[in-house]
Amino acid sequence: MIDQQLAEISNFAIVISVVLYVLALIGFGADLASTSQRRADERLAQQERAVAKATVGAVTGGTSATGTSATGSAGSPAGSGSVAGLPGSETSTAPRSMSAQNFAFLLTSAAAVLHVLGMVTRGIATARVPWANMYEFALSSTAVLIVGFLLFSLKRKELRVLGTFVVGLVLLTVLIAQTFWIVPAAQLTPSLQNSYWIVIHIGVAILATALSGLGAMVAVLQLLQARHEQGTLAQAKAGAEHPEHWGRFGHVLDRLPSSSVLEGLSFRIHSVAFVCWTFTLIFGAIWAREAWGRFWGWDPKEVWTFIIWVIYAAYLHARATGGFRGSRAAGIALLGFVAVVFNYTIVNTVINGLHSYSGM
Amino acid sequence: MARDRTQRPEAPRPDADGPDPDGTDPVRSWSSKKSSARAPALGLRGTWLFLWRQLTSMQTALILLMLLAIAAVPGSLYPQRSVNPTLTQQFLDENGRWGEILDTLGFFEVFSSPWFSAIYLLLFISLIGCIIPRVGVHLKQLRAKPPRTPSRLTRFTGHTRIELPGASADAVLDSAQRALKRSRYRTELREEKRSRSVSAERGLLRESGNLLFHISLVAVLVCIAGGSLTSYRGQITVVEGAGFSNSLTGYDSFEPGAWFDAEQMPPFQFTLEDFRAEYSLEENETTFGQPTSFEADVQVTTPGQEPRAQTIQVNRPLNVDGASMFLLGNGYAPEITLTDPEGTVVADGPLITVPLGDTGYTSQLVLKAPDAEPEQTAVVGFFLPTGTIDEQGPRSLYPDLLDPQVVVTVYQGDLGLDDGIPRNAYEVDVSQLEPLTEEGEDTPVLIQLRPGESVDLPDGSTLSVGDVKRYAAFDIAHNPFERWTLISALVAVAGLILSLFVPRRRVWARVSDGADGPVLEVAGLARSDDPDLERDVHALADRLRESHGKVDFTEVDPDPDAEQQDDTEQRNGAGDAGPQDEPERGRRD
Repeated sequence: MIDQQLAEISNFAIVISVVLYVLALIGFGADLASTSQRRADERLAQQERAVAKATVGAVTGGTSATGTSATGSAGSPAGSGSVAGLPGSETSTAPRSMSAQNFAFLLTSAAAVLHVLGMVTRGIATARVPWANMYEFALSSTAVLIVGFLLFSLKRKELRVLGTFVVGLVLLTVLIAQTFWIVPAAQLTPSLQNSYWIVIHIGVAILATALSGLGAMVAVLQLLQARHEQGTLAQAKAGAEHPEHWGRFGHVLDRLPSSSVLEGLSFRIHSVAFVCWTFTLIFGAIWAREAWGRFWGWDPKEVWTFIIWVIYAAYLHARATGGFRGSRAAGIALLGFVAVVFNYTIVNTVINGLHSYSGM
Repeated sequence: MARDRTQRPEAPRPDADGPDPDGTDPVRSWSSKKSSARAPALGLRGTWLFLWRQLTSMQTALILLMLLAIAAVPGSLYPQRSVNPTLTQQFLDENGRWGEILDTLGFFEVFSSPWFSAIYLLLFISLIGCIIPRVGVHLKQLRAKPPRTPSRLTRFTGHTRIELPGASADAVLDSAQRALKRSRYRTELREEKRSRSVSAERGLLRESGNLLFHISLVAVLVCIAGGSLTSYRGQITVVEGAGFSNSLTGYDSFEPGAWFDAEQMPPFQFTLEDFRAEYSLEENETTFGQPTSFEADVQVTTPGQEPRAQTIQVNRPLNVDGASMFLLGNGYAPEITLTDPEGTVVADGPLITVPLGDTGYTSQLVLKAPDAEPEQTAVVGFFLPTGTIDEQGPRSLYPDLLDPQVVVTVYQGDLGLDDGIPRNAYEVDVSQLEPLTEEGEDTPVLIQLRPGESVDLPDGSTLSVGDVKRYAAFDIAHNPFERWTLISALVAVAGLILSLFVPRRRVWARVSDGADGPVLEVAGLARSDDPDLERDVHALADRLRESHGKVDFTEVDPDPDAEQQDDTEQRNGAGDAGPQDEPERGRRD
């Protein structure tokens, strides 16, 4: 029934993709670090030339919000002054044949191909969808995440700057899956057989989980960026000509989009995620009715999916409530992701319930 | 839901204040009756209004949502009675006083506890209080014309100014209006002092979807409530070869809703012809002995119809009119015969044994023979599909019948069945019973039997094991509101999608007289997250220029600051500033 040879090929592909992800992560990291280095060099040169006044009008590669907000619209709240977030012209300052970022992007693409290959071969080996236990679910949702990221950043190159964080998240999850959750390829238990809902319900859940992860990542960056912008603004107000906030990490943040742009991105990701979670709940209810004779029974997994749904609903409401927009809403979104992680790890492995398909 | 926060709690109306001089006006007499204890009543009315406003405010909804999430957590951490009463009892036994306190607080029935109910009921009251006025406002808005064009368009998204010498102002406005209409905008032509403009609006569907979503959520709640009142659910166990006829007496357990009527149970019968189970033989720690398939062949008879055969599987329930039957469990039922010392057969036939939950299907066996003479007898032990007895005691290594064994001890004494208290048929309390021992010895006799074997017990009874049959456990359930719950939920998602992804926006096109002829201005305003607005406004401007501009001369927005920021935002690929777009832009200027 199980094609062991293919299952081994699948494992092998995943291991290779992990190696490539590590290299890609180094590439993306080097890219971020080199920008902050370049920026520091630039500043040094500027100081040496003793340029009287830092002009901001033209946004040169790698410069940032900080300058703009310092001289431009001081006094406006963080966010509105720092719109020059993503210097898409970065590549123009790199005359080398291949920048660290391009290198990392290619490596990530190769890793993603292997990752998907590993998923597909696992599916063929077991003659079913490759998401019937924790290990496979983790591999599938990270594959969706990385492929989604690659597709989006194929055209919109400015998104590639987020590569460090996306690849980091994917790598972490795959490593955990590979270390703790891995189980041999096996047939489905009877409770998962004879139902196309395993394709639909779990498929949507994978999408929802991947989007939640991505959304949480953007929300974290948004929160950091907001703090950073505030800090920079405070320094600028205090009269610093070159506000230095959070040192090197601050420079990395300077390369990222402004907190308001990240907020918009996070909202869009989370609203799609919320719709996916809603569908997960509804499809799960339909399946539960077919399998267990009731559409809702407060099984721990159902409870936690409900909690996730309610928290994300609160996030969407918070965004429209005065006093909660921005950082507080982002906090609620992060809480939602904490619930997602809890639902996936603790509920699967520790709490006893009907959804015990972790394979362990 | 975004609420209009400009509304303030109303001051108590004056007519409710003063004492009622003559008491003739029915309305007044009503209010005077209410304020018979005058001062507090006034305060009461004001307080109620204030509380109502608070309850229906957005912040309260937000807090209630978070509370709902928090309140649900213990429902997954503590064993819930509604999910698994045995685990709840076990927890109570292990935790003594602490368990009692938790029980009093409702931690084992979280989802029907007063505090959980209070939160979701308040949430829904808040929701209803919020949507009713909004439905009114929205209906008005649907009929209203698009708002008038702002006098200065330069502040708005994508502002473009185009000089169109020689073009006809009417023609330009006309094609602007037609283009906007084609893109499903509601448009209105407006005459102004020194110009004319088209004011267009679209995306009211966003609010419609929002309201639809929230109304459907109420519908879902109503359907769930209706379902829990009218539904029923029962458990049965059927041994191979035996039948079941749908009536209350046939159930092992039965949970009806408050308004359940036994008349509504559909009369159907079935026979369990065969039950097949397959298990993995793969030599692998995690998969060995795991089930790979369960199938129950049944012959179903419904009134007025030919008997039909169906195979019930997990995920493939049997559906008859008015009920569904789900395969939820299975086990072994060895045929056991017990003859008492007087030669009377006191127990005979397949005995349902309860799997303990291990991979090998080690099953609890309890046989009660209250009619045995001279003393009531209980046979207690295990049925083992693939049996072994080692240092861990008797247990089964594999779930299929490779070496079936019955390993039991026989007890005698009062089984406690005669005092009228219902007892679980699959359990017996042996602490009040005497185990059967060999003459002159203290240790209980451990009897090990294979199918077809029989043993004479020291007291003269005979115990024999015949064939081993399988049994299937089914749930029979019906919820008349199921379908409506699903429909409401799907409508809710449809509304949700509209409310999240339909952009709500306004677009204006104005033609005024310039030095060299008509001057066209186009701009838009996002009323929601709307990254594409700028692109669409530019597209409209380009289109009008192409069709009306004889000389290709375009003047860029005279406000360079705003333009540059807009440009940058577009380059960032996310140029929206959220629903509060308007005030922020105002501030920036």
